[in-house]
Amino acid sequence: MLKGLLEHIGIEPGRLNFSWISSAEATKFVDVAQQVAASVKALGPARYLIKKRAEVA
Amino acid sequence: MTNKIFTKEEWTKALQGLSDSYKVFVPVKDGDFHTFKPMNATKAPDFDFQNTRLSARSLVYPQAERMFEYSLDENDPEANIIKETPKDYSPQAIVGIRPCDAHGFKIVKPNFDNKEYRDPWWIQHFESTVLVGLGCNQPCSTCFCASVGGGPFNKDVLDVLIYDLGANFMVSGLTEKGEAFLSKAQGGKAADDAAVKQAEALATEAAKKVKADVPTDKLKDKVINDLFAAPFWQDVGFACLNCGTCTYLCPTCWCFDIQDEVLGKQGDRIRNWDSCMFPLFTLHGSGHNPRDQKFQRVRQRFMHKLKYYVDKYQGGVQCSGCGRCVRYCPVNIDIRQVAELMNNY
Amino acid sequence: MIEYTAIIRDTAKKLLKDGKVDVFIGYKKGTVPMMNEPVVISDPEKVDTLHWDSLCGLNLCNYLTKRKDKIGIIANGCNSRNIVTHILENQISREQLYIVGIPCTGVIDHRAVLRAVGNKEVLDVQEQGDKFTVSGNGFSETFDKAKFLRTNCAVCTHRNPVIYDEMVASPVKEQEGVDPFEDVKKIEAMDPEKKWGFFTKMIERCLRCYACRNSCPLCYCPTCFVDESKPQWVGKSIDPTDTMTFHIMRAYHCAGRCTDCGACERVCPVGIPMRQFTKKLNKDALEYFSWEAGLNPDARPPLDVYKPDDYNDFVK
Repeated sequence: MLKGLLEHIGIEPGRLNFSWISSAEATKFVDVAQQVAASVKALGPARYLIKKRAEVA
Repeated sequence: MTNKIFTKEEWTKALQGLSDSYKVFVPVKDGDFHTFKPMNATKAPDFDFQNTRLSARSLVYPQAERMFEYSLDENDPEANIIKETPKDYSPQAIVGIRPCDAHGFKIVKPNFDNKEYRDPWWIQHFESTVLVGLGCNQPCSTCFCASVGGGPFNKDVLDVLIYDLGANFMVSGLTEKGEAFLSKAQGGKAADDAAVKQAEALATEAAKKVKADVPTDKLKDKVINDLFAAPFWQDVGFACLNCGTCTYLCPTCWCFDIQDEVLGKQGDRIRNWDSCMFPLFTLHGSGHNPRDQKFQRVRQRFMHKLKYYVDKYQGGVQCSGCGRCVRYCPVNIDIRQVAELMNNY
Repeated sequence: MIEYTAIIRDTAKKLLKDGKVDVFIGYKKGTVPMMNEPVVISDPEKVDTLHWDSLCGLNLCNYLTKRKDKIGIIANGCNSRNIVTHILENQISREQLYIVGIPCTGVIDHRAVLRAVGNKEVLDVQEQGDKFTVSGNGFSETFDKAKFLRTNCAVCTHRNPVIYDEMVASPVKEQEGVDPFEDVKKIEAMDPEKKWGFFTKMIERCLRCYACRNSCPLCYCPTCFVDESKPQWVGKSIDPTDTMTFHIMRAYHCAGRCTDCGACERVCPVGIPMRQFTKKLNKDALEYFSWEAGLNPDARPPLDVYKPDDYNDFVK
């Protein structure tokens, strides 16, 4: 539901990823990490919800 | 005192011309309500409103304001030196501010500018501001400015006062600052006696409409501890949500909180409006909170406005009677009733 | 609904007199038109303060949290669902409560009324059955209540209380064929940039007064994450990123718990429609878990339990 909410607000699908990997599943970890890295790279640098220097007077 | 007549179109044009010498803030309709925005060509000022949703206080005292900044980068020769953030104090004009909100600045002044302490940011913002008030022909039913030393055409604090005569505005310079502002305004013509009379009649008429019977006269003679221990606070505060609506909409609330924000090697010291309604307001470093209950926070707000301020500054209550907290309190806690409870206790 | 007032007063008087409850929580008529004030009464002789009309739009469940006494309370559909949620979350026990159920025909959107009269000051509102008349200086207009319902009430399908000890009137007909998520679907169809633009614009005016949070019966944490200072989770200025973080986190804390009572929007001093955050969560809760909050005191909320068939398509 968090993923649903964040994507509803404008965080691009693919930027937020969830997985369940047991400590015994080294190959799965590598695969998922590569997948995540590839999908985030494809999206480019994040534009939204990035805290910068406070925009105040 | 200069009295000039402008048609409403001429006045808008004059304000556009004044934008060269001042940052001109005007009321603009923004969704369901009016708010002060810098004058620009795209959105015309709209002077047909009862009052702006928020008071103009943020134009002198922003909700969040950078006070100091510093670098934490060891390679920076000025690392760890805290420096005041440079600010723009070029002249600004708040055009269309209601007399109650202008009165609000007078009420908060002793806090920011007194013998012991001078708040440089508030003072410089305030001194660079021309207050161009718009008299209230039709005060709201929740207004009670006349009960607290103001009035719908109160000239105190204002530099210029605008009378809405229907098709025209009569604009009166009240102070040197105001006259200087008016002298730069293009167009308009000198007001004749008939216009001045009409303006005076409007002011008299409006004064009759505004509620002037919120009692505050006996507050100064009350004993602080009696009021503090009065039995009505639990009832007054029952419905309170402890949100910041009353304090943030108020033209006379001045409390702030100072926060350091560090991002990488850049540090900022920012002051933000704070609210006595929030539990964090009084939370001590030790974890103890002297006002950890809701009714204590509600009591604090009213005691501050209607008793502590009265005693400390001897100039009446810390309320300009704008009625915003009455209109917008989500649970309808009404300062007029609380004033009555306290005054008659 | 104004005709319920007399019945509420009688019921409260009886309950207080008979000692069935220590206090009775309801509304009293506001000092300003279209505003009513929550009130707690302990003296049976003071029940005439109680009032109910179609402008009682807060959530009284908010005033129940961790109370120790026996409480009589009025509750319409959404308020009763929050009471169920409160019981489930151990904020109050069923035994402490005497719930006077209100079959609700919806609450009037005071902002829509103001818009309809050109934002002129309303000095009086009179409710007559399914119509109401607002008047002020130089105007008086009568409207159909059904056309001025708050947007959450207009799509409400649980108008009758789901839990009560007695009702002030017979249940009203539930609305059928309404799509509560039309607006959510519109946003879902936007691309990320548009979505971000929509929500950024929506909260632009936020003052961080926290009225939305505080009016919500779901927000009862002793210290809210925005008020934490060790560590400080979110900046306290009105920086847009911090403000957005507040709104996202507030909404997410309501996931699977929100009854769409609309109190958050009702209380906002600058009119932000922040239900757009929680409605998405309500839609997902319904789609993924067939869940609507507060309908059943015997069912655990979906984010509170694990089921082998829980929705998990998002897990890689």
